[in-house]
Amino acid sequence: MSNFETIIYEKQDNVGYITLNRPKALNVYNIQMRDELYQVLGALKDDPEVKVGVLRAAGERAFCAGADLTEFLTAPSPTIARQVRWQRDVWGLFLGIKKPMLAALHGYVFGSGIEMALCCDIRIASDDVQLGVPETGLGIIPAAGGTQTLPRTIGRGYALELLLSGRWIKAEEALRIKLVDRVVPRNELWPVVDQLAAKIGEHSASMLSYAKQAVTRGLDLTLEQGLELEFRLGTSLLEEKMQEEAI
Amino acid sequence: MFSKREIMSYSAVICDKRQNFAVITLNRPESDNVINQQLAQEMVDICRELNEDEEVRVVVLTGAGGVFCGGSELAVPCGVAAAIASLEKPVVAAINGDALGQGLELVLSCDIRLAVSGAKLSFPQVTKGILPMDGGTQRLARIAGRGKALEMLFTGETLTAEEAYNVGLVNKVVEREALVSEAETMATDLAGKAPIALRYAKEAVNKGLDVTLEQGLRLEADLYFLLHTTDDRTEGIRAFQEKRSPDFKGR
Repeated sequence: MSNFETIIYEKQDNVGYITLNRPKALNVYNIQMRDELYQVLGALKDDPEVKVGVLRAAGERAFCAGADLTEFLTAPSPTIARQVRWQRDVWGLFLGIKKPMLAALHGYVFGSGIEMALCCDIRIASDDVQLGVPETGLGIIPAAGGTQTLPRTIGRGYALELLLSGRWIKAEEALRIKLVDRVVPRNELWPVVDQLAAKIGEHSASMLSYAKQAVTRGLDLTLEQGLELEFRLGTSLLEEKMQEEAI
Repeated sequence: MFSKREIMSYSAVICDKRQNFAVITLNRPESDNVINQQLAQEMVDICRELNEDEEVRVVVLTGAGGVFCGGSELAVPCGVAAAIASLEKPVVAAINGDALGQGLELVLSCDIRLAVSGAKLSFPQVTKGILPMDGGTQRLARIAGRGKALEMLFTGETLTAEEAYNVGLVNKVVEREALVSEAETMATDLAGKAPIALRYAKEAVNKGLDVTLEQGLRLEADLYFLLHTTDDRTEGIRAFQEKRSPDFKGR
């Protein structure tokens, strides 16, 4: 399946690779990419052959330099725009994927780029990465979940600083504040992510899905509710395993 | 310590309004800027006033002398931290020296924290069996994480600015002589952003962390689409396309 203009989608073994593919435009996110991402994420979510997803980007200079601002001033009225946002809820779909999602980040990762990376579970960056959320300098705020996913990932203090100031940070600082989980040389980025995806892919799909749900949903609950969720998920997993073994 | 423009007259606090940001200076240096009834009441009044003042886009909080704030004379919480937290615009703490007890609670209610090298941060009252009551137990854990927060509360441990930086409690450590210029640069930089977008970004983060991710995404989207109705959004995008600095009006 590859009738896409802005994205390449490939499957290899049990890994689904989504590659942002507008390298000449620094992979900026536009309406077309939104629509294609929506289709691809839906396919990845429902494909039983895919255990792990990888989000990466083509070209030398950027993972994604933000949203395509040329489309912004032609946007429909706020009420229509809001309606469209929820009719095709690409970020809800992305964050709702129960499979492990890895992001391979290089070059510029701004605005929507960071937000897409934050929809993933593990972020690996190359040493040339530069990240920032410039929205307040454009009269807007992030709208792909960034105001929610950023503080949940790096904490309130750093999130407020980055969101309010729009300051760019480099690999070393991103690693220090845990915005990225690992930094590797540029030429090792994709191989390292491939290895991690392969390692994760060795495990049972149910376990991976339940582990992701336990952590991500659990953090939105009281500890007591989180413990109940963990117990429920763990029990279901055990039951599934016993049924499999009985067969 | 900051160059003056319009200075509001209070006795325990100085409020210095500049072009588009305000500097609040806790001004009881002879008493380590310890909070008393007067200072508390003045801070509450100033925060209320600055929140409504559209010319003020950013607030900086600092202390006169070598101490930021050594704590409080008042046995019960004074609501100063709550007053600072209720400011809808960005608040930068310029921590010029030790921030202890309620002083640390003031720091925690700001959004971005700059501290001079060597400044000490702690909750010494816990060693006397007293719990921080102006938001300290809640905000510390949300900023520095559960482990560090509990350690500080269990032991009364004092962190230097450098240690606070390592646990995310301070965003940047600067030399004493650089603090004023760093804080002013940051305030000027923030004041150049779109004011309503800044307020909404702060609200989205702070309110969003109190609800589920799904509810937070709703909040973010609603605030985002409300911004579609502002002139500043058009100005920001045009300025970017025309490769010039935006001129935001806060409308």
